[in-house]
Parts: sequence; structure tokens; C-alpha cells
Amino acid sequence: MDENIIIAEIKKFIETNILAGDIMLEADTILQNIGIDSFSIVEIMLFIQQNYNILIPDDQLVPENFRTLNSLARLVNKLLV
Amino acid sequence: MRTFDKTSLPEKVLLTGSDCFHLVLDKHAHIHHAGSNVMRIVFYFNTRLSVANIKKTLGNSPLIYWLCNVKLLKGLFFAKPRWRYKDKGNEMVINEYHHAVLNEIPEIILQRDIPLDGNQFVEADLVYYPGNKTSFILSWNHILMDGRGIGMLVQHLNELSSGHSNQQIKQLFPAREKKTGLFRYIKNMYTIKKFIEKSSKAPIASIARKNSESTVAFKNRIIHFTAEETNRINEQAFQNGARFGANLYYLSCSAHAVNNINKQRKKAGVMWIPVPYDGRLKGSLGPVISNTVAFLFYRVPVTAFASVKQTVTCFSTQMTEQIKDKMPQKYSILLNMMRHIPLRLYYFLVNRSGKGSFASFLYSSTGETFNNIKTLFGETVSGLTIFPSPTFPPGLTFSFLKHREALNINIAYSPDIVNYEELNWIELDLKNILLGKS
Repeated sequence: MDENIIIAEIKKFIETNILAGDIMLEADTILQNIGIDSFSIVEIMLFIQQNYNILIPDDQLVPENFRTLNSLARLVNKLLV
Repeated sequence: MRTFDKTSLPEKVLLTGSDCFHLVLDKHAHIHHAGSNVMRIVFYFNTRLSVANIKKTLGNSPLIYWLCNVKLLKGLFFAKPRWRYKDKGNEMVINEYHHAVLNEIPEIILQRDIPLDGNQFVEADLVYYPGNKTSFILSWNHILMDGRGIGMLVQHLNELSSGHSNQQIKQLFPAREKKTGLFRYIKNMYTIKKFIEKSSKAPIASIARKNSESTVAFKNRIIHFTAEETNRINEQAFQNGARFGANLYYLSCSAHAVNNINKQRKKAGVMWIPVPYDGRLKGSLGPVISNTVAFLFYRVPVTAFASVKQTVTCFSTQMTEQIKDKMPQKYSILLNMMRHIPLRLYYFLVNRSGKGSFASFLYSSTGETFNNIKTLFGETVSGLTIFPSPTFPPGLTFSFLKHREALNINIAYSPDIVNYEELNWIELDLKNILLGKS
């Protein structure tokens, strides 16, 4: 799946449900730096699992995979293969 | 000269559902003679602060001015409680003290009440210590603001000090509420009521004994960790399954420390712990005023205490399920609806539904909110801690705060619930569990 499409979909979810309106979110923005906390990470994880019909295994639930939209898109693509 | 327009301050601010729940807690605290629902934040400085400089910054804050000129109007005949602002020209008074014991906060400050029928709900104190060191203490009635709100207030004051404030006044206050349909209200109320009943089903092993009364004032014990120790705690958190921040690990270690005391008392059992959940949009600068937290409710079976890792897994599973089911949002809707009920009836309903059981203990963590606070009033902040409001029962609250990568825990306890020896045990045990030494 095209990583840009995955990035756009996750970005839309975060902007609509988690972030304040005036916060800029780019593909390489470090999510923790814009206030994304552990509760929000759970929301993002649940969205990914439901939207792409995948289960994120325990060993992939690491901060590196949830650092930016880029790393999230790479994780989704890896699990979709 | 004032840099804001006083006429742009809101004349009326409705209390949120969470604020009104704090009205109930305030009433509860008074009934049990446990003081008021007052929170305090303490900033430590290795320099002597100038009162004139502080007054200048506070005097330029529209928020502080509003806070000094509001009155609480309690709900009447199903009208929602509200804050009413009237420009009386009140300014923040800064009380000054000299204290011989470095970094200790005088009891006169810690025991001072901020009653709801008073004229001021925020107070500022400055304590001078030997060696030109100072602490600045801000105290407020919890009905006004939560911990995240005070973090935003600090950010607001720092922007004023630097002279680069882009904040709009309306950002600081709660926005107009979205209306919820009656059917959704009723459906939510039913779901959350069932969930809380199931989650808190008796018997619950609480640190408090049944029919306890508060006869003496709450006390505090602060545990400090260095940045190196905090790093070790973070590593332990990750190894024990807390993958996205140490919060669940802190909570699990606290639960183990309380469970160990309950074991000594031969009353260990299932625990029930409500944990605050901030409902604000992330990255927002407001609202500063009002409590915007809902709760996650955790039930911990005895089997989950086999190891800290199992306790973290137990919390993690329940957290994921509750976020998936949007329980915090549903709980907020329930609290918003309860605002329409007169306080006496609200208190009666809360007490009746609890059937004499209460939380095993209370826990809160400020997460990253204060970690990067470097200055206040243009001076370097050397340390920071939060004194949680006393809640009785259960009479034991752990408040975790990280500042400059170093963790501290403020334990607020009622000596009627936890005696001196037990508190020493909790302190040592909690330290060892967090650092992975036991």
C-alpha cells in the first residue's frame, strides 16, 4: 500500500480526534513533541488495527514505531505484507 | 500598566461536570473534617525572587485578574452552577514568609483553607530560606482548575514574562458546550452506571477502614529521585511492559506498595482505582479554567499482584478496552448531566451508589506537563512539586511529577489512615519496587 496514503489517513484521524486545531502535523513530526501521550497512542493503535484490519503484535508495540507518521506508515505496511 | 482589556473577560463561566463532581468532593471533605479540596504547586528557586517582579507579571495576566474577581454561584432549582466575574479591582495578594528549614513549606500555608463561600479561590505565597533561596507556592480550590490547567497557567505566565504572548483570552476559558441529545444522555448514563457498578463491586480492599473519620490534618511526604534514578525507573517500566511512557508502571508500583500494607494488615484483596484521564485536545493552550478530566476505572484482582509485570498487563488491558469503548467520554457526559441536580441530592446519590465502598487509594501523574518548565517570572526553577488535594476516604494519594527528567512523588496521607511506621514502609517499598530492587 502507498505509504503516502497511509500517512494521510492516520494524519486525518489524529487531526480530527486528538489534536487541537492549530497544531501542525507533518509526516516527520515527533508525535510526543506535540503533546501526544500514552492514552493518545492507544487511540492511534486502535484506529490502525481497525482501519487496516491488522493486529499489532506485542513486540512491535515499541516507541520507535509510534514516533512519527512516517514510522507508523512503515509499521502498517510491514504488517500488511 | 495593564496589557489586557478587562471588559473582554467572560462574565459567566459554567462549571463543567467534572468541576461539579469536585463540589461533591468538597462537601465530602468537609463532612469528614478533612479540610478543603485545595491543590498546591511549589516552585523552588536557588535565587531570591523579587516581589515587585512577580506582581508585575501577575498584574498583566487577564486570567489571574479574572480569578481574583469571581464568585461561585451554586446551582439553584436545576440551574447549573457557575462562576460570576465582577470587576471589583481585586489583585492577587502575595503573602511573604521567612522559614529556617530549607525547602520546607510552612504549615500555615499547607493547612490554609480556600472555602467556596470566600472571595478568592487562588492564593500566592513566597517563602524565603537561608542562602537567598526561595519557593513560590500557588494554591487553588480544585473546583477551578486541574493539574494540566495549572501547567497551562505556568506557560501563560512565562509568555507574559517574556513579553511574547499570543494567547487569546477566549482560549483560556472553556468553550461553549456541544449539546447532547436526551437519548444519548440516557444511553450513556446506563452504560457507565453498569460499568462502574461492575468495576467497583464489593468487596474492595481499600487502604481506608470502613467508618473512618478524619481527626487530624493531612500530611505530605515527598520522595525525590535523581535524573539517573528516573532513567533507571523508565528502563524498568519498559521491561515490565509499560511501552509508551512510565505511567502504568508508576501506578502498578503504587498498587503493590498499598497491597503490601494491606497484606500486613491481613486485608489484602481486589483493588479498585480511579485514574484521571485528560480530555483536552493535545497541544492546546486551554482551557486553563475548569476541570477537563474524566476517569479510567481499574479493577485489580489478587492474581494480578503476582508480579509488577502482571499488574502492568492488567492495567494496560483495561485501559485499552475502556479507551476503545470511549468510557472516559461517556463518563464526562454523565457528569455533565449530573450538574442539573441540586448538590444535596447529587451528594446523596453518589454516597448511596458507593454503598460505603471507596477507592483503594488515589493516584495521579502529571506526565510530561512540567518536565520542561525551566523558568518562572524570568528566574530558573530548580525544583517543582504538586501537593494533591486531600481526599478522605481513602486518605492516601500518590502524585507523580517529572521535572527536568527527575521524578518526585508527593504522598498526601491522613495519619488516621496510614500511621508513621506504615508510611515509612510505603516510602521504602515504593522506592525499591520502582527501581527494580524488589
